Amino acid sequence: MTVRVVIVDDHDVIRVGVRESLEDDIEVVGEARDVESAIVAIKDVAPDVVILDVHLPGGTGGGALDVLAEILGGTGAPKVLALSVSDAADDVVAVVRAGARGYVTKSISGPDLSDAVRRVASGDAVFSPRLAGFVLDAFNAAGGEVAEADEDLDSLTAREQEVMRLIARGYTYREVGEKLFISIKTVETHVGKVLHKLQLSNRHELARWAAQRRIV
Amino acid sequence: MRGHPDFAPDIWRALSGGGSASRLRRARGEVCDDEPVTESTRMTRPLRREAAPSTWWRALVGGMMIALALALLARRLGVGEVSAWALPAIVFITALILVWSPLDSAVQSDARRPDVTGLFSHDAWGRVVVGLLLAIGAVIWFAQWDFKGHPLTHAIVVPIVAVMAIILVPAPWWTRLIRQLAVEREQRVREFERAEIAAHLHDSVMQTLTLIRAKANEPDTVARLARAQERDLRAYLYQDRRSEADSVATALLAAMSEVEDTHGVAIDVVSVGDAPTTIPMRAAVRAAREAATNAARHGMEPISVYAELTEDSYEIFVRDSGPGFDPRVVDQDRAGIRNSIIGRAARHGGTAVISSAPQSRTEVAITMPRKDEK
Repeated sequence: MTVRVVIVDDHDVIRVGVRESLEDDIEVVGEARDVESAIVAIKDVAPDVVILDVHLPGGTGGGALDVLAEILGGTGAPKVLALSVSDAADDVVAVVRAGARGYVTKSISGPDLSDAVRRVASGDAVFSPRLAGFVLDAFNAAGGEVAEADEDLDSLTAREQEVMRLIARGYTYREVGEKLFISIKTVETHVGKVLHKLQLSNRHELARWAAQRRIV
Repeated sequence: MRGHPDFAPDIWRALSGGGSASRLRRARGEVCDDEPVTESTRMTRPLRREAAPSTWWRALVGGMMIALALALLARRLGVGEVSAWALPAIVFITALILVWSPLDSAVQSDARRPDVTGLFSHDAWGRVVVGLLLAIGAVIWFAQWDFKGHPLTHAIVVPIVAVMAIILVPAPWWTRLIRQLAVEREQRVREFERAEIAAHLHDSVMQTLTLIRAKANEPDTVARLARAQERDLRAYLYQDRRSEADSVATALLAAMSEVEDTHGVAIDVVSVGDAPTTIPMRAAVRAAREAATNAARHGMEPISVYAELTEDSYEIFVRDSGPGFDPRVVDQDRAGIRNSIIGRAARHGGTAVISSAPQSRTEVAITMPRKDEK
């Protein structure tokens, strides 16, 4: 099954680099270089996945946030994988809260990026070690906060913390599963729940980071 | 401040009515449904800077004229009591309207770039001169009044009224001047910041690019230069610069940067939690540096470093991507692992555990308890 993707980045070099590094089962069906052309291209070709640079010219100045606001919602909305050179917490948290299913930095290797695209396409979340670190920081996992119930949006369960720690340590999903003696599917479920919390929680750290990028 | 939103004080907007709502909508980038979206259609347009022809002052002046006429008529016919100060007051208000009216179009169009030609075109000058004359006349007229035979009241009230009139007439011109000064200062600050950034880029990026061009035939050197420059730029752009003593996360990052530079590898560092660097923490960072050096020398990329600071301990994990080794068969006389990693951690009350096996990844876990700090 080929995954159809649209690449959005304002740097031609990066777009070419991303296109070259994607593996054969991922088909690039469109490219765009600013907010307006991205919205047009995505509505035009209806891709499975959008690889979206966080900082984009055009729109109202919100970059990726403008694109996300326009293309998400409604049936058949594409999944979004955010791509950035920046590791700043406000960027990461803002795009994830605006609806991106994953966040990777531009230093990612080709096979890893292809893997991330496939994972996002199949509905899973993609957490880079750095994003996992942010999550642990934001939910004060190091301070010993543990959720009593799964439904608690404002803190992580002990299991979710373990999974995030291992991802932050550079473990792949498969290795996390082996280490914790759980299936890769269960790892994916935990990561999905953490993404859900990251998007919906009202923790003030998250709200603050999001506010720095002018979304609430 | 994108798109220079309306900068005019509310009073001007309220007086001039309409226009602002649609301009605000444009500024927020909302699109009208009836515009076909094509490849070339921009979703947002630059803010329009049209000034509605200002007519409010005519209506007001007209109203004042009617009031004046009514007051005169009432006095003539002897209907009701018209205070002697009412007529000068009406004239004075008319004068104010006339003097203030030319400011409107200039402020409204764009406070940051005052429309000087618009300000002094048409009848604007005429309005200001007529308004000033009227104001002076109204004050003199008011001063003629005898205050029903109270010379003391006259002596006190007239100077006060005159001073207030002198302040009131040019008031909006003053506020404008002050605002314009603020805008200019802001521009200067921005200019200064731009110069700072340009200087930094010149000293760092430009120099590195020159070096890269000179060393174009040495891929290793180019990669190292690029990596060092990237780190430098990243630190400049995204992080508040903190000292290594204040922040153990910064200390760890600096240690890993040294390893990256020395061995030409990429190390992914993630830190959770931060605190001032204590002596045991510094030891843990040094041990982690040694572990990363080993990983860079014997292991494969990517190398990940994860550090977590909790209430009880500081933990650092250094992990490479293989090929792994059997820790049991390492020669006892090899000092690297025993002394500089395990030994260094143990001397400060911590532990270091190395887990590895042939054909798998190697991970060094360094744990430094924090109970001594308290």
